[in-house]
Amino acid sequence: MSAVKPVTPKRKNRHASQGGWKRQAAYVSMVIPGVVLLLMFSYLPMPGIILAFKSYQMTMPTETSLFQNVFLNSLIASSWNGINNFTYLLKDAPMLIRNTVGYNLLFMVVGVILQVGLAVIINEMRNRKTAKVYHTIAFMPYFVSWIVVMYALYAMISFSGFFNQVGISLGHEPIKYYSQKQYWPWIFLLANIWKYTGQGSIIYLATLTGFDEQLYEAGSIDGASKWQQFRYITLPQLMPTIVMLQILAVGRIFNGDFDMFYSLPNGSGTLRQVTTTIDVYVYDMLKKGNLRNSFGYAGAGAFFQSVVGFVLILVTNFIVRKHQPDMALF
Amino acid sequence: MSTLDKKEARRLLKAEKQAEKHSLARNLISRRTNLFFNILLIIFCILIVFPLWIIAISSITSETALTTYGYRLWPMEFSVNAYTYLFRDGSIMITAYKNTIIATLTGTVLSVVTVGLYSYALSRPDFRFRKFFTFFSFFTMLFGGGMVSYYNMTRSVLGLKDTVWALFLPMSFSAYWVIIMRTFYQSSVPEAIIESARIDGSGEWRTLLQIVCPLAIPGFATVGLFSAIGIWNDFRNCLLINDSAKFFNLQYTIYQTMNNLRFLKENASRMGGVNVANLPAETFRMAMAVVTVGPIIMAYPFFQKYFVKGLTVGAVKG
Repeated sequence: MSAVKPVTPKRKNRHASQGGWKRQAAYVSMVIPGVVLLLMFSYLPMPGIILAFKSYQMTMPTETSLFQNVFLNSLIASSWNGINNFTYLLKDAPMLIRNTVGYNLLFMVVGVILQVGLAVIINEMRNRKTAKVYHTIAFMPYFVSWIVVMYALYAMISFSGFFNQVGISLGHEPIKYYSQKQYWPWIFLLANIWKYTGQGSIIYLATLTGFDEQLYEAGSIDGASKWQQFRYITLPQLMPTIVMLQILAVGRIFNGDFDMFYSLPNGSGTLRQVTTTIDVYVYDMLKKGNLRNSFGYAGAGAFFQSVVGFVLILVTNFIVRKHQPDMALF
Repeated sequence: MSTLDKKEARRLLKAEKQAEKHSLARNLISRRTNLFFNILLIIFCILIVFPLWIIAISSITSETALTTYGYRLWPMEFSVNAYTYLFRDGSIMITAYKNTIIATLTGTVLSVVTVGLYSYALSRPDFRFRKFFTFFSFFTMLFGGGMVSYYNMTRSVLGLKDTVWALFLPMSFSAYWVIIMRTFYQSSVPEAIIESARIDGSGEWRTLLQIVCPLAIPGFATVGLFSAIGIWNDFRNCLLINDSAKFFNLQYTIYQTMNNLRFLKENASRMGGVNVANLPAETFRMAMAVVTVGPIIMAYPFFQKYFVKGLTVGAVKG
């Protein structure tokens, strides 16, 4: 063993490379404003999750109370009631879970197909410039609020709305969409497609354009058709992106698009069975201030969403990491 | 001899070019498929524009035509009455517009500053608590306290109820933008510049403000635009936190208008006295929706590239 061992450069002293305390202090001062906002709007509400196990009762703070704020004081003073809040929710649970998870799964599956489809089509088009125009238009609904969509929907499906006008001129009776349940799953699906297809396709399009052109050339020389190139070159390379986005979506499977589910039905009571997701339910509960312990019930719904969502994202990520490490989120 | 070589070389070059052209041509979709895709996308785009078209058209239809003929593709009778009525003195829309504009401007500046600072620190490899603060913001993407707690904390504990603050403060910082901005610093501000500024004796703050900021403007634009859209389109925070009409933003104001009208219509017979014909008319409501979404649709194509950047950068793992 006469070979000389290659000299490995010594690692720099960790602390020397990090500069003095002055530099660290400067960095810390930079994060402070953000930390304050995160504490206020993300971390402060977190302990409130214990509401789920409390029988909330408004209790006025006294001189000796730890918190002088009515809500905080009530939160502490209210008695624990185990899982009673959850059992109260049980009767509505099947409907709520069916709506929330059902719509989310539907949106996920249809969404992925359409978004990937749109991205691939735009990427393959011969006329690049018009393709760009199409994409600009398809992306636009992302910037239109759900409240404006609610207005547009009203203009289309209200009693004197566009669809009924067309129906009348074809000799049909006008349809009362706002009181007939069977239309609403489709309305939500279409609204979701309308709003998110263009936006969702952007990530796929950006990923697609980064693929190595040589793979496609090689494929085409070997006689692969465009469809085969999509199936065997594009799709496998796109998979990590698709999986990553789906992990995120799974984590939110118990959170609906509150603005959409809350606003589009225009407050129609007869549609509740098909339009109430957990978010909407929690909000309705919350607003029933007069009902005793409505905060507790609403809190149970919110707890379910947060905790189960959190666990789901960890589990999905764990499974993905085990099988396909580079597809995992973290 | 040499001319023959040249000829041969030229022939080979030509053949090569042709082969290349051929292979490229073969690797494009056929003209027929292209035509099919074009038709498909034109239909798709028409469907995208259609709902907005209906709103816009009905807002410039006269009220009588709308009640008689319903919503149509083209007005039976033009009228801009709805718009003049919309911006009369003391209209709720003027308050809503004012609140929304104040909130959007303040909130956008606030997000650019806070996100810009936070993510700069996270982008520095020599920041000792980098891991901690990265997790501190990332965790908020995974877990939240839920709506009930949020409702009570913002209203009562933070005291935001019935303030303009409620319309932008909760939306001015997001872990998602931190990821975007951090990636932006890492990819477009060369380490050497920061290093040389340091050697020249510049402190961290000065380096950031004088050297890094000018380079990071497209990143700031991305964060600022996302923030502006979020605040302009916010409905949920106003719904949860503000109760007084003085502090409503645009989205919530037009939501309320639609909601109140439905309530009155449903109960008109029971209440007897209310004359439905005197209520804010349908054209008026559609005009409200138009002025709410109008500025965004007008501005969006100019800023599209920033939004695209923001959405794609955020997808990069980090």
